Amino acid sequence: MGLAANSNVMEIEAEKLLSKKIKRRVRLTPGRLIAIIFLCIVALIYVYPIFWMLDGSFRPMIEIFNLPPRFFQFGAGWPHLNTYSLNNYIKAFNDWSVGTSFFLSVLVTVTNVALTILVTSLCAYAFAFLRFPFKNILFYFILFSFMLPTITQISPYYKLMSTLGLTNTLIGLIVPPAISAMGVFLLRQFYIKLPYSLIESALIDGASHFKIWWNIVLPLSKPALAALSIYQFRGIWNDFLYPMILLRDDKLFTIPVRIKLMDSVNFNKPYDAIMATGFLFSLIPIVIFLIFQRYFIEGLSGGVKG
Amino acid sequence: MKKDEGRQGKVLKERFINRRGVREAINGYVFIAPFLIGVIIFQIYVFASGFYYSFTDAQGLNPPSWIGLANYKQLIHEILTGGEFWRAIRVTFIYELGCLATQIPVAFVLAFVLNSLPFKKLQNILRAAFFVPVLINTIIVAWLFRQLFNPDQGLINWLLGVFGYHTRIDWLQNQTLAPILLIIVSFWQWTGFHMVYFVSQLQTIDPNLYEAAKIDGATPSQILLRITLPLMRPAVAYVMVTSAVGGLLVFDVIFMLFGGSSIGIFGPGNSAKALVPYIFDKAFTSEFRLGLASAAGWLTFLIIMIVNIFQMKVIGLGASREEE
Repeated sequence: MGLAANSNVMEIEAEKLLSKKIKRRVRLTPGRLIAIIFLCIVALIYVYPIFWMLDGSFRPMIEIFNLPPRFFQFGAGWPHLNTYSLNNYIKAFNDWSVGTSFFLSVLVTVTNVALTILVTSLCAYAFAFLRFPFKNILFYFILFSFMLPTITQISPYYKLMSTLGLTNTLIGLIVPPAISAMGVFLLRQFYIKLPYSLIESALIDGASHFKIWWNIVLPLSKPALAALSIYQFRGIWNDFLYPMILLRDDKLFTIPVRIKLMDSVNFNKPYDAIMATGFLFSLIPIVIFLIFQRYFIEGLSGGVKG
Repeated sequence: MKKDEGRQGKVLKERFINRRGVREAINGYVFIAPFLIGVIIFQIYVFASGFYYSFTDAQGLNPPSWIGLANYKQLIHEILTGGEFWRAIRVTFIYELGCLATQIPVAFVLAFVLNSLPFKKLQNILRAAFFVPVLINTIIVAWLFRQLFNPDQGLINWLLGVFGYHTRIDWLQNQTLAPILLIIVSFWQWTGFHMVYFVSQLQTIDPNLYEAAKIDGATPSQILLRITLPLMRPAVAYVMVTSAVGGLLVFDVIFMLFGGSSIGIFGPGNSAKALVPYIFDKAFTSEFRLGLASAAGWLTFLIIMIVNIFQMKVIGLGASREEE
């Protein structure tokens, strides 16, 4: 036994050495060079629309639609940054109350993510650690609810919300999406991998389940909570259809609906202000992505929205 | 669930009758109550009331009265005669298939090339660049593309002109181009996402497999076909299944891409009015027909379930066969 294990270890060590050697031999072959150039060109084309939005958000309206794009008019004065100003941002904030909308977008998203974490993790805790009658049936019930796309029943949904008095309120945007079956599954999957002895010893010490959930399980499940938060953040931050239907008062508009409102002006459409708002709004997810990159794939692959 | 039954086993069953068991059960119900109440109100009730309304002529603020299967009959009639609902189904599936057929192969090729680069830093930068569109709100993406595809001041027509093609293409007002435009926008937004997922899966493949194949004298194309592709099959299946439902429920991009023009909210001649836009249109913009919208919603739900089951059967079974 011991010998076999030993030789196994040696094999692994040998493999490590081998792979190190392989890594050291990395060279820039012509094939690789072509692949790199190809990928870089594709990537540059790929990010161009975002670059255009960034560039346009600082330029006066007449330069936004220059062809060739103002930034790519090479020659004297390139890259023509002398016309850059914050006027578009000022216009967006002053004329279109983008500041208020931005605050509302942040408020709705943050409260929703917090509420989602509380509601779904409590539920997941019960399904992972507690025993109660009809547990399996209830779990299948939630599994079933996961498959119901509420968006197909948008008019009964609207009717319900207006009966409950939740149209034209922020609560109507925050509470319903917090009922995320996806969150319950994700967290339950994580919880059942935690050692049950943790819970048991805390119970013996006289802790209540609520305390165990709050003091032990929640702090331990940070990676799963991060993935769930990112999934939820993306959904709510980008939510458009529900705010558009539910909100009547443009004082309550979140950014996506605000952009739609700015765009619906037919005369003197504020292209410049839309670009500034769009870029500012996109900046937050991009920054969050750069900080939490590793949680992103997990968080997003939970559900891909078209 | 089986796992924790085994773990706690008998002890829990015995304990169940005593006070601690009762307390645990009460705890359990209290813990799931907020979620369960939410599901019942915001999902079950909504679907149930939608089912009821679908048999009524509910419209606007009028009290609904029972009309039996009339709404469903109208929708089935539209399907059979190539009416509005049929066109909604057709454009949804054109969009769906177009997205799958373009995004997944391109994402796979890009992932394969990117993964074969041995330079980690460069790999990370490129991966982030392809991922950025996923982070941008669909509303903004659609708005940007509407400007880029503007026939007179957009970049695309100008570029075509630079390359010698001077015909003015009216992208936004052409009925046949409308679904293609949607597929292009969706391609830009989602290919990077699929690619990043594929890269993460490609990195789980044991490099020793490739080494062994090389030593045995396999050519690069053989390695791709015999090793990489079969091992990536579950990942491809996963991407197809998860992106399918989102594609069938497409709304935002259609609404915003064409919404600003005066030629119909959902594309020229409403040629891009997919299923959810159809429901939205019946419910809110034109006639406030709650009953008909609910019936269309239930049929859409049915279509999604059929697609899901089809995918599970075809792709799901294929994947499990691979594991044997």
